[in-house]
Parts: sequence; C-alpha cells; structure tokens
Amino acid sequence: MLAVVSMELSDPNVVNILEATGSFEAGNAALQPANVDGVCSLLPIWSRQVETSRRQTEDAIVALTERFSQIVQRIDAALNTSGTGSQRTDAQAEAQRSRKDLALVVDALKAIQLSRNELVGQIRTLSNYTAELHKMAAEVDLIGFRTNILSLNAAIEAAHAGESGKGFAVVATEVRALSNAARDTGKQITKKVGLINDALAQIGRTNEEVAARDDQAVQASDERIRAVIGRFESSTAAMAAAAQQSHRESTAIKAEICESLVQLQFQDRVGQILAQVVGSMNELTDKAANSTADEAAQLAKEHADQMMSSYTTEEQKLNHQGIETTEVEQSAVTFF
Amino acid sequence: MAKRILLVDDSASVRTVAGIALRGAGYEVVEASNGQEGLSQLNGERIHLIISDVNMPVLDGIGFLKEVKKHPNYKFTPVIMLTTEAGEDKKQEGRAAGAKAWITKPFQPAVMLDAVSKLVMA
Repeated sequence: MLAVVSMELSDPNVVNILEATGSFEAGNAALQPANVDGVCSLLPIWSRQVETSRRQTEDAIVALTERFSQIVQRIDAALNTSGTGSQRTDAQAEAQRSRKDLALVVDALKAIQLSRNELVGQIRTLSNYTAELHKMAAEVDLIGFRTNILSLNAAIEAAHAGESGKGFAVVATEVRALSNAARDTGKQITKKVGLINDALAQIGRTNEEVAARDDQAVQASDERIRAVIGRFESSTAAMAAAAQQSHRESTAIKAEICESLVQLQFQDRVGQILAQVVGSMNELTDKAANSTADEAAQLAKEHADQMMSSYTTEEQKLNHQGIETTEVEQSAVTFF
Repeated sequence: MAKRILLVDDSASVRTVAGIALRGAGYEVVEASNGQEGLSQLNGERIHLIISDVNMPVLDGIGFLKEVKKHPNYKFTPVIMLTTEAGEDKKQEGRAAGAKAWITKPFQPAVMLDAVSKLVMA
C-alpha cells in the first residue's frame, strides 16, 4: 500500500492540487480541470489511510499508557509496603532499647557481686575481732598460770604455818583448782577462736574463688550480649540499607516511567493533527464533488483558508505556511 | 477530606498521565471523555476544581466551560484548560468564558499540580 501511495504522490495532478492548497510553495497554482476529478478520487483513500494510522497509533498509545499506569500503581504499592527510612530508625531504636535492657541485667549481676563483696568485707572485720579474742584468751591463760603459781606459794606458806595454816591450805587448793579451770577455759577459747578464724578464712577464700568465677561469668555475659546486639544491629542495618536502596531504585524507576508517560502525550497532539488532516480531506472531497472545474482554484483557496482557521497547534500553522517547526514548548501556564 | 477534581479530556493517555499525578498528590479524580460527560458528573458529589481539554467531540471544552458557569453550584468553581491550543485568541476565548488558567500540552505534571494547588477551592 505504501508503494501505491508513493506513486500517487508523485503524480503531477497531485502536485498541482497540493500546491493550490498551500502544501507546496506558492506559484504555478493553476489547476487543470481535467486533473481535479482524478486527484479528488484519491483523497478518500488518503483519508482512510491516515485515519487508520491515527486510530492504530491512538489504540497502541492508550494501551501502552494503561500498561505504564499499572506499573506505576504496582510500584506505588510496593513502595508503600516496603516503607521508608523510618523502618530503619525503628530497628535501630529497638536495638538501642535492647542494649539498654540487657545492660541493666549485667548491672544487676554486678550489683549482686558488690553486695556479696561487702558481706565478705564485714566477715573479714570479724577476723580482726577474733585476733583480739585470741589475745584475751592468752591473757586468761596467763592469769590462770600466775594464779596457779600464787596458789602453790600459798600452799607452801600454809604448810609452814602448821596446824593454824590448815584452813588457808584448803583455800590455796581451791584457788589452784580455779586457776586450772581458768587456764582450761582460756585454752578452750583460744581453740574455738582458732576454729572460727579458720572458718572465716575459708569463707574468704571461697568467696574470692566464687567472685573470680562470677567476674568471668558477668564479663562473658556482657561480651555475649554486646556481640548479639552488634550482630542484630549489623543485620538490621544491612536490611535497612538494602530496603532503602530498593526504595530509591523503585522511586527512580517510577519517575522514569512517569516521564515516559509525559512523553506519550505526543499521541494527543499527533492525533489532533491527523484528525484535522482527515477532516480536511473529507471536506475537500465533498466540496470538489459539488463544484465545477472552473471553481476549483477558488475552492482550493477557500479550503486552505478554512484549514488555517481550524488548526489547534502552532506547528500546524507553521507547516501550512512552509515554516520549519521548532521543538514544542512544554507546560506554558497562563493564569487569568 | 481529599479535594475532588473533574478531569475532562477525550485522550485516554492524557487522562492517565494527569490522573496519576493528581491521585499521587492526594486528590480524588473523576474522569470524563468529553464536555457532555463532564456536565453529567456535576450532578454527583461536590467537585472542587475542573481541568478540561478544549478540542473534544460531542461538547468541546469552551462549550463545557460556559455550561459550568451557568450551573448554580459550580459558577465559582475554578476551571483550568489543558489543551494543545496555544493561540492567544483561543486563550482569550477561554478567559472570557470563565477559565482561571490555561496550560498548553504537552504538560509536565508538576506544572499542572502547581496550578491546581493555587486554584483549588477550600
């Protein structure tokens, strides 16, 4: 079909009528009556070809626009689902909260350690008292020893006194018994104080061992908690970074598609231009059918004027005048 | 509550482009493919702003605009003309009929949204 149209466009008859309607440069515009009918018979064919092209383009662009529109909606839905940077902030805040909560647990363990160490400190203070008790027990023993010596001397003196010293000898014997009892008690106290001292020393040693183990356990727990929180933060940061990257890419893709949609507006413009061409062809066909050959030149001029007044875009007017069209200006806004 | 905008254009692709931009900016959009359909939409829920093409079948944009200005509920509703028509005569015709702004196609959605935000009724 293209080949046929090409041959027809090169027909001298076609050239004549196109010149007359201003589509070619002015000059040599006289129509040959014999040619008018032949040219006019071609107009409905051109008109149908152009209209078919316009309709197919429009259908394709509308379908394409609808597809793009659906893609934009799906991207929007995906963007809404994936969220934004706020989720990253939420994850980081949760990690910080977890870090604080777990730090409180470690602090509580350390507080328990401190309490126990204080208790052990107080027990050590008791050890000082036991040393004093030990000394006092020794003094009791010494007093008993000296009293014993004294009672012996008293017994000797009572023997020297003879019959009159018998009563004093009984007292000396009792004093000696008391001194022995005091010495025994002193030794018992020393022994018991020694046992208590040993027990306290054992408590101290045991506590030191337990404290060392607790220190290690608390330190290990602290390190593990920090490691877990660190891994959690790393993974959430990585996920958040990936989500943000995905969000940025999706937003960029959406912007590209929206820009493509803007470019597809050419269909509206081209459609109007082609619709005008088709309408004009049909009108010319009707007019030519009802006019004589002598009226053809006047008819062509009138039709050209009518075409000029029916244009909606600037490039149509420029094309009609044979002026080269420039790039279409976008989005000119006039407020009234 | 979202402002409702009536979008009148015989080009489905233009309605789609403008619709995406307007809905994305939080407006509700009601669509019509010519002036006559646009007028029938005025009998539904309240419209806060109208965007209309000029060259349309059945009832063109200027004719539609004149009818809108006769409507008791919509005589003060702002109307933006969105058209390939760039001629001064046509613009003045639109102004005389009551249009508040004239945007020529092809248009950038951001430009249209800027005009809408300036004119949309409270």
